[in-house]
Amino acid sequence: MRRTIGRRDFFRTSAGAGLSLAMARALAAASASAAKTKAPTIGVGIGEDHEKAAIKAVELAGGIKRFVPKGAKVALLPNVQSRHPGSYTKPEILRAVIRLCRKAGASEINALSWQTVKQWEDTGLKAVLDAEGAGLRIFEKDESLFKPVPVPNGIALKEARVLAALFDHDALINMPITKDHAGNKFTGTMKNLMGLNSPANNRTFHRPNWTTDPDGIAHLDQSIVDLNKAVRPALNVVDATEFIVSNGPFGPGQLFSPQRVVAGTDRVAIDGYCAALWGLKPGDIVQIKRGGEQGLGEIDPDKAFIKEEDI
Amino acid sequence: MAASRGWRAALVLTGFLAAGAGAAPAPVGQDTLAALLPGDGAVPGWSRDGALQEYVGEDLYTYIDGGAEIYQEYGFRRVVLQDYKNGAGKSVSVEIFEMETPAAAYGMFTFKRSGKGRSVPLGSGGELEDYYLNFWKGRFLATLTGFDETPATIDGLMAVARAIDSKSGERGEVPDLVGALPAAGLRTGSVKYLKGLLGLNNVYPFYTARGLDFREAVKGDYDGGSSLIVLQYASVEARDKAWAGLKAYLETTDRFKKAGAAETAVPLFRDGKGLYAAFAPSGPRLFVGLGANPSAALAVVEQAR
Repeated sequence: MRRTIGRRDFFRTSAGAGLSLAMARALAAASASAAKTKAPTIGVGIGEDHEKAAIKAVELAGGIKRFVPKGAKVALLPNVQSRHPGSYTKPEILRAVIRLCRKAGASEINALSWQTVKQWEDTGLKAVLDAEGAGLRIFEKDESLFKPVPVPNGIALKEARVLAALFDHDALINMPITKDHAGNKFTGTMKNLMGLNSPANNRTFHRPNWTTDPDGIAHLDQSIVDLNKAVRPALNVVDATEFIVSNGPFGPGQLFSPQRVVAGTDRVAIDGYCAALWGLKPGDIVQIKRGGEQGLGEIDPDKAFIKEEDI
Repeated sequence: MAASRGWRAALVLTGFLAAGAGAAPAPVGQDTLAALLPGDGAVPGWSRDGALQEYVGEDLYTYIDGGAEIYQEYGFRRVVLQDYKNGAGKSVSVEIFEMETPAAAYGMFTFKRSGKGRSVPLGSGGELEDYYLNFWKGRFLATLTGFDETPATIDGLMAVARAIDSKSGERGEVPDLVGALPAAGLRTGSVKYLKGLLGLNNVYPFYTARGLDFREAVKGDYDGGSSLIVLQYASVEARDKAWAGLKAYLETTDRFKKAGAAETAVPLFRDGKGLYAAFAPSGPRLFVGLGANPSAALAVVEQAR
């Protein structure tokens, strides 16, 4: 399904009309100077063929073999939170990543989740896993299935509880869809890792009797940053093809369609790029700002090397 | 998830028997929310697909993992979910949220609508967007989602929505505070009724400002591009305290710059995106006018005071 909010239309309604696609392009242009330095590289495939866009993004980010060693067991984490349009990772992107992993010589590929099989079926993601011969490992929300992981330099979160099955794998490919979030305004690579953390531990990200005051929201964002200190994906492949920019993270909501897939290892830089796509200022998103301040990645777009290519 | 518990499952079953038997609409109480869902055959061509689900109170976090906070802020009680399909394979998903008050249901309705949809005559108010619709009635908010925009799907959305509407005897009025927005030039679809900071920060970011603990608020956009936010406090004293805290924040944060001349009676600031914000306390209310230039921000405040 293609539903496009015209750019002009989106700019009129977006709170951050001054940024958006034009901003992302500007960031890409500005980043060219970073190419000669040891800058994080972000690959962006642009086009309505989402499978090809994903392949292009990974190629621009350095090629799949840079992230997936031959013989590796690979864990995948797409977003299956909701089946409302623009709220879950597109099946075509999952297919592309599975095929890339095979090409790199992965010995085993599994999607890990504590969401329900129905959610995987409803989003069409299970059909792709089945067709491509990848595994789907669903876990009950049983705390014994999650492994305590100390958070180095954790501020709000001292210990994460990560699906133990992750540690049976050699590499994690984090595959969120970027989208709106009513709580902290933005979902991207960092937020998506809550899908590997135990639901009970995730609940601690919200303060008791949370009244959505600024401190509560900051606590949530800090907890997300802390979780990302404990879990480091080998690669992030972000669906920025068509996503909700209102009523997130669940939808249904207003759709925006920049038709991009974004890949790389630097979660802060990637999230900053994705936020700018739809008119958000990366520094205004607490998790991105703090991620940058606390060493998770590069928030300054001039210091990232963004490679965009149409397919 | 509550639906797995025996007693609640019995309630759900009772609701379905009532719906399926075409029973006369009954007053809707907290135990009969599922009875609002059309049974098989109640909407010609459409039947239920899959099991009913229900989430109560804090369990909403299980359903809307990471997104339940805004419902909780308005005041959430429970939600029932049911999918429907027709013979051509089209699908419609239904969520009926029971909120604590009609004001909470109205608030979530306004929060979820984009203002760009088409108004539809459902419940106390409804709006059809590209592929989904929301309507509210009394304490209930119904969200129906189609998975394409074909006429068959949209017709199904509307038919199922009308069936839900007809089963509810709930009533509810738009909160009085909405009347604080001057009607002249108001884009009615833009109105957002708010109950807390999460909602407020989604319509206009005050970031880490403290002291905004208003009782309720409303925002509306006007022809010409200006907007008005009205924050209602419990008393003049509460508003005084809140305004003092907010003013101190505005004067010290790097997110806002003071823009008004010293002789201006209405404090004026400019945010990081270049928008002007005029602040006018009045009684237990604080009026905030937003505009692309100082005169637009001041004019919308003066119109409201």
